[in-house]
Amino acid sequence: MLNNVFENLTILDISEDVSGSFCARLFADYGAHVLKIEPIHGAKLRTQGPFFENDPHSEKSFSFFTHNFNKKGITLDIESAIGKDIFKDLASRADLIIESFQPGRMKELGLDLATLQTINPKLSMTSITPFGQTGPYKNFKSSELINYAMSLIMSISGVQGQQPLKHAGMQAEYEGGLFGAGATSISLFKSSLTGIGEHIDVSITECVASTMMATQSIYPFIGGTQTRRKAEGSNSEQAAQATNDGWVVWQTGGGASWEDIANFFESPELLEPKFAVREQRIANGTELDNIVESYMKTKGKWELFRKASEARMLFGVAQTATELNNCEQLKSRGFYHQIEHPYMGNVNVPAELFKYSATPFQMRYPAPTIGEHNQEIYIENLGFTAQQLVKLRQIGVI
Amino acid sequence: MDNPKPLDGLRILDSTYVFALPYAGGHLADLGAEVIKIEGPSRPDVTRTGGYAGVFADNDHGEDWWNRPSTFNLINRGKNSLVINMADPEGRELFKEMVKISDVVMENFTPRVMKGWGLDYPNLKKLNPNIIMISNTGYGHGEGPYSSYPSQATTAELSHGMANLTGYENGPPSKAGASFVDFLATWTALFALGGALKYRNETGKGQWIDIGMYQTGVMFISEYLLDAQLNGQESARIGNKSPNRAPQNCYQTIGNDQWIAISVDSDEEWQTLCSLMNKHEMSMDSKFAHLNDRIKNHEEIDAVITEWTRQKTKYDVMHLLQENGIAAGPVINSQDIHYDEHFISRNFIEKVAYPEDRNMGTRMFLGRPYKLSNHPLHITKPAPKFGEHNAYYLKTILGISDEEFETMYENGLIADIPGDREPSATFDPLKRIEAKTLADWDPDYKKNLGI
Repeated sequence: MLNNVFENLTILDISEDVSGSFCARLFADYGAHVLKIEPIHGAKLRTQGPFFENDPHSEKSFSFFTHNFNKKGITLDIESAIGKDIFKDLASRADLIIESFQPGRMKELGLDLATLQTINPKLSMTSITPFGQTGPYKNFKSSELINYAMSLIMSISGVQGQQPLKHAGMQAEYEGGLFGAGATSISLFKSSLTGIGEHIDVSITECVASTMMATQSIYPFIGGTQTRRKAEGSNSEQAAQATNDGWVVWQTGGGASWEDIANFFESPELLEPKFAVREQRIANGTELDNIVESYMKTKGKWELFRKASEARMLFGVAQTATELNNCEQLKSRGFYHQIEHPYMGNVNVPAELFKYSATPFQMRYPAPTIGEHNQEIYIENLGFTAQQLVKLRQIGVI
Repeated sequence: MDNPKPLDGLRILDSTYVFALPYAGGHLADLGAEVIKIEGPSRPDVTRTGGYAGVFADNDHGEDWWNRPSTFNLINRGKNSLVINMADPEGRELFKEMVKISDVVMENFTPRVMKGWGLDYPNLKKLNPNIIMISNTGYGHGEGPYSSYPSQATTAELSHGMANLTGYENGPPSKAGASFVDFLATWTALFALGGALKYRNETGKGQWIDIGMYQTGVMFISEYLLDAQLNGQESARIGNKSPNRAPQNCYQTIGNDQWIAISVDSDEEWQTLCSLMNKHEMSMDSKFAHLNDRIKNHEEIDAVITEWTRQKTKYDVMHLLQENGIAAGPVINSQDIHYDEHFISRNFIEKVAYPEDRNMGTRMFLGRPYKLSNHPLHITKPAPKFGEHNAYYLKTILGISDEEFETMYENGLIADIPGDREPSATFDPLKRIEAKTLADWDPDYKKNLGI
């Protein structure tokens, strides 16, 4: 009997970025056996900050850690002839390979899916890249900012008169990882029925663009182009507003009527006709903002957040990372799991994305150190001798 | 017969509203599932009203405004529609009959609702032992302090920590103008469902998938949580810049509100950029030589780049820099994406032709951000009219008589016109441009799109 949904899956993760690594981790979180295969000096993601103790050490990258826990790790030079043979041996026993090289690279190496399926027809491969495997931009250089710019979201993010604004961090790459995992998960269900795997081509820019359903469809419905919000006025519903100790945002909708909202802000002037409907609230936005902001400046953000929930208002409170680390709601959901890491010590890991009732999330291992499981995988699983392993190391294959 | 699809033969009851899970249902329909959107006679999906940033086809309410909004039609493509009153015990009996012959139930009510109706997972399991249920709520089920708080993605973007990190330098926290976290829940649901289907196939057991959008959003800033926890650091807002790449920013180009994003990864790329801009003295200047120098003097560099990009179109800059190995891309807006050669070549935006009686013509919608080599997919059919498949499910599938069916209509148990709702207003695009709530309007969009 299976204890977890992906327990009988073996996955090779040769990706070096956030998206492929996060995709593979999600399968590992719910039971898959994921082997991280890194170049002999470690995956590129190990050079990405922030770092533990601000020390740019290959075992101290928080980005590498957070996208690679629950995996085992080996090093292997898949560009060498021996490395390719070892990789093929691993692929013959696997269900899925996750990669994020430039399109065409796997084929150059002779490790594309068509070739590998001649030895293992049930094998699938997920490729996650900025622009996908086809099309005129497929080999374009990208970065998080470029991914964001080319996927609609920046055209409506930020304020008019200033440059379009990206989200902080690596949201496009995280989306590539999660959405890629979604498509892969359905594909693997199908190949578990047919015994035949397939190639899953995921485009990071399309992942982000696919979230922009109102932005895209306004054009083929009325010919419109959406814009960013105005810098001043009409900021209710759209922008953070200040309290005496931080920032909040509120909006209409939810269970609260406009009257409830006027009561919440203790501001009867909000019931004047000039604020009665949304169009007027936008037109008289500056005045509206002044009324609510002068009230909120006298209050604390947590007091407002609790009071808003009682009024059934839609209300957000800008939380810092520290506040989120201490959040009782997240703790009650089992979001954080503890693990001991050889360099970082005991870590309270943001870990659990959602809950399965029958097959819970498992925290099994911290992210592997470079080559941590070479001994185990090469000797116990692949049958190399200790001497052969030394030899592989000497010639730079592992 | 179409090509076989991964989810052929799977029947899904989709009792969900707005964006997150409804969009998951739309994607599942693309994948071949029979997705039945359940709405109430007086409780249509609110996207049918044109609210939530939707617009009506041709900016016209037509005779059936509830079938015409953009966001509703994009999200609910490929589904069937069954309208029954779940607040009525008789309506819930119909729902239960459908549960018995379905594989998956999706819902996004607040936690107390399905339980109150006796339709929570333990009860659904009694009706259909291997049913898979997906619930999506703002904060997740359970006993946590916010479990019963109302929530929507647009305000949640602050709560899940993203906004505090996002913003112009020295400015307030900022959020993108879209329901960012909704779509994290969309894809969490697809991921979770694929696993649950595989598990059910191998063990005969269904299960309940409990998604809380709050934690899907918080997950996406994991590295910042660790930085705060283990280093005691909170990151500052840095606009479009990067600690690892410089120069990196958005720059204005020819045209109204047109921008190019440029992201330089190495000292060599910086030299290349200088020579493309004919700024040889800058390439020699030690105050720009290395990453940290360029980060320190970023404003000076930005001024020079802007002077150069203002003379060019955003696509010209993209092609020139990419040909020379530098990451650059235009800020693509609602209009651009329909004419961009790359997205066209991947058929990312798909045409959907409506039957004549819908009076909707042909429209174009976002497809899927992935391609499956063995399963070429496309949007299978338009989003359904309200109650379009009532007769099919109730009479053909459940065997209800014509007479009973008519009585159900008369009693308001089922419907095909939504009650108690008003459409949002149509508008004059030129006035919207003047009010700066619309960037641009193309009156010839249909001709230009060939629809």
